Amino acid sequence: MIKLTQIKKSFGRHQVLKGIDLTVEKGQVVAILGPSGSGKTTLLRCMNYLERPSEGEITIDEFTLNCRRPSKSDIHELRKKSAMVFQQYNLFRHKTALENVMEGLVIVQKVPKEQARVRSIELLEKVGLGSKLDSYPSQLSGGQQQRVGIARALALNPKVILFDEPTSSLDPELVGEVLSVIRKIAKEGITMIIVTHEMGFAQEVAGHVIFIDDGVIVERGTPNELFGSPKEERTKQFLKRFTPDGVYSI
Amino acid sequence: MGQHQFEISYVFEYFVKLLPSLKITLLIVFSSIVIGVVVGLLVALPRLYRIPILQRLAGIYVSFFRGTPILIQLFLFYYGMPELFKVIGIDISRIPALYFVILAYALHSGAYISEMIRGAVAAVDRGQVEAAYAMGMSGFQAFSRIVLPQATAISIPVFANLVIGNLKDTSLAFSLGIMEMSGTARTIGALSQRFVEIYLALAILYLLISLALQKLFIHFERRLYRHEADAIASKREPRRGRRSFFRKLGPVTELPGKEARL
Repeated sequence: MIKLTQIKKSFGRHQVLKGIDLTVEKGQVVAILGPSGSGKTTLLRCMNYLERPSEGEITIDEFTLNCRRPSKSDIHELRKKSAMVFQQYNLFRHKTALENVMEGLVIVQKVPKEQARVRSIELLEKVGLGSKLDSYPSQLSGGQQQRVGIARALALNPKVILFDEPTSSLDPELVGEVLSVIRKIAKEGITMIIVTHEMGFAQEVAGHVIFIDDGVIVERGTPNELFGSPKEERTKQFLKRFTPDGVYSI
Repeated sequence: MGQHQFEISYVFEYFVKLLPSLKITLLIVFSSIVIGVVVGLLVALPRLYRIPILQRLAGIYVSFFRGTPILIQLFLFYYGMPELFKVIGIDISRIPALYFVILAYALHSGAYISEMIRGAVAAVDRGQVEAAYAMGMSGFQAFSRIVLPQATAISIPVFANLVIGNLKDTSLAFSLGIMEMSGTARTIGALSQRFVEIYLALAILYLLISLALQKLFIHFERRLYRHEADAIASKREPRRGRRSFFRKLGPVTELPGKEARL
């Protein structure tokens, strides 16, 4: 379904990703964990080419892009396979919640407007915003904006949704509503890759957890393996900060 | 002072006499701004997208038109262009001065407008462009559907300043014999020797057009900013008294919400 082969990325002399290999199966929910600066967000952004990898190969849904010299249309093709939910929501500020969700359907996928509207309303109702269709982002709370962002991603019916720290810029009391929406769609069998700092959430929702540090995948496994009995010293060190009393030892 | 005692009735009389020349003034303003917007966009794009040689040329163009007085630009165009065309064997000396004037004002405004566009585009948050790309939009779609509408809203206050500045600058066109408002006023003044009355009437006329333009732009700004919560709130309860008085006088409206400006 998704296959990354030897993804490398450097910013100037600093190598952020040092050859990442990763396979994600259809319907899997994968959480990427790691300390700040470990390259986890960069890796996610490489998957839809918002960040240009220096080397490597990206395959999504049988479409393969070689990062050496990709053409514009290849990049475009790759991006259409995925959708992204951003840390800063990145809603279109001059469009209402409904228009935000409809935009991709109408402009990119050329769905007729009426049809796009029906589908978008459905999705906004699903994320609990049926009453906010005509609100502009500036009139919505952070949590509501992020839920619009999730509906906007879902609308594209992508092969995979990439979540880039979806709750990191939210006030603590708003984190719950966003997580519960993600939890809900995770159960529907949509493939998701989530970069997050919410350890408890990753453990609960993800079927697969990856720990990245210093541009390499240090350890991977099921949440039980990784949180319960991490093998690598670096993983233990990292998790210790979040599980001082062994809360996660199952 | 003229030789005559000041009489207010002449102010009204001259005001009416000036009205026919309003056409010429508005013609210069309108056509030079329209051309200026096109030129400004063409000049801003190479700088926004960093196109190697064009970027430098655009920079030189902007420096020249922003760095020299409009009066000198007018003379250079009017006297210089026919000379230039003579070299390649075309006689343009019979083209009416008005066209040179419009061209000069258009290129002058174009320089400022290109800077306005550059600033406004840069002020649109980069994350939204990423979101557009991530959902599969092309560069053109992202620019026209996401960046441009927001950049337009951001640039309205600056644009209002430019148009009003351009209106006042047209008063220099009389130096090439154009009979716009100031040219007409000069002629009336010379004949009647009632300088105070005629220039007072002229000042009132400029002020009225400026105020009308400001009202128009505030209206546009409110419309384009309806998506920002603060702007909508300020529309519901318009400020009264001192502050709204200053609002009318100030060339730039208070921009609620977004701080991003040139």
